Amino acid sequence: MPGRQDKDYELIKKAQHGDHSAFGDLYENHAPSIFRYLYAHLDNQMDAEDLTGEVFLKAWQSLPKYTERGVPFLAFLFRIARNTLVDHYRQNNRQESKDPEEMDGYRAEGNPEPVDVIGSQIEHQKLLRLLQKLRPDYQTVLTLRFISELSPEETSQVMKRSVGAIRVLQHRALADLRKEMDKVS
Amino acid sequence: MKIERQVDQIINENVTAIAAGDESVESILARYPKIEAELRPRLEAAILLQQARYSVATRPGFIHDSRKYLETKIVSMPPRYSWQRIIMRYTPQRWVFNLIAPVIVLLMLALVVNSTLLTARLSIPGDPLFSTKLLIEDIQLAFTLNQVDKTNLQMQQTQERTLEFVELVMEGDYDYLPAAAGRMEAEIIASLHALNTVSMNSPGVELTMVAKLSDTLTNEIQMLNMLKATSPNSAHAGINLAIQVARSGVLALH
Repeated sequence: MPGRQDKDYELIKKAQHGDHSAFGDLYENHAPSIFRYLYAHLDNQMDAEDLTGEVFLKAWQSLPKYTERGVPFLAFLFRIARNTLVDHYRQNNRQESKDPEEMDGYRAEGNPEPVDVIGSQIEHQKLLRLLQKLRPDYQTVLTLRFISELSPEETSQVMKRSVGAIRVLQHRALADLRKEMDKVS
Repeated sequence: MKIERQVDQIINENVTAIAAGDESVESILARYPKIEAELRPRLEAAILLQQARYSVATRPGFIHDSRKYLETKIVSMPPRYSWQRIIMRYTPQRWVFNLIAPVIVLLMLALVVNSTLLTARLSIPGDPLFSTKLLIEDIQLAFTLNQVDKTNLQMQQTQERTLEFVELVMEGDYDYLPAAAGRMEAEIIASLHALNTVSMNSPGVELTMVAKLSDTLTNEIQMLNMLKATSPNSAHAGINLAIQVARSGVLALH
């Protein structure tokens, strides 16, 4: 998406000159994708929110390094997100999901109704259980493509593979996911 | 078009419409009957992911609130350049460790190599490191360019072979005697060649060397004769061979 990249580029330039608001704009543009990616791998919404903040703090501190690499900002963010997720797993030494009943009753101001929250949590747990049965690279490609809505090109930059390889990976991952859906049902 | 690409394109174009209820899986599949078997499972999986996307969406107000928090936080956290990150990554203890660890490893490596070389130097035929000793001697010879020094080294190696032979007899390793006598002969011949070259290039210099080598060989003959008297018959053939080799060397020197 060249338009998005151009817009990002201007904001990054400003942010690199210390414009916090420009970085805030970058956050607002990309945080939802990053959050969705993280939450699709985690069983706790608060963890996903904390890690989203952590990803952007790391991105802020790495802004000078970013220009040296010449990768689209979104790919740069997702790479940080992947590493942050790996660090989180290492620290917590667990990957298994919890039952919806076991999840904390976190409910911040402005949250939807409890019924909606529980419905969403059940849906989230279902997704998490299905994804966790897939190979890690299948999980990543499906999350990036369908949950975070990255294009094949952007996904290829995050996963450091060719676009063709991403399509093949996605093709196989979707087939595997469908098989897992059958097993669950 | 590759099937992966085609399926990806169909999914991209239709998954949102299916999720919104504007299209159905069957209506899409009807348009692509040839690839239905490939498309159906993937399309259904993609729809599940599309629908699940809402379950992993941010809670209302999160982005707005967290943006304020982030902006407040980054005020006190300036971006770090690569060199700053490298410095900050390591504590002073880590720096010290990083500097000391390679030095310790190098010292230990030097110690091991030194011990190996020393053990090799003291080895005799039949020892595991004897071949290493011969290799070290060959390397020393190869790196000695001055002819006089080379001849001196060659003579030292000849002396080493004679001492090894005596040691073998004293330790009772009689099986190795014929091979050791052969090596001694080869070294004596090499020393004689070296002396010949020195006498041609710098006449007079070789006289001391000749006397030294002659002494070495004469002593060897005397020593072997004494040892022969106290050795079993099985050792005599090897000792006689060595005595003969040494005598030939002395005759050649004369």
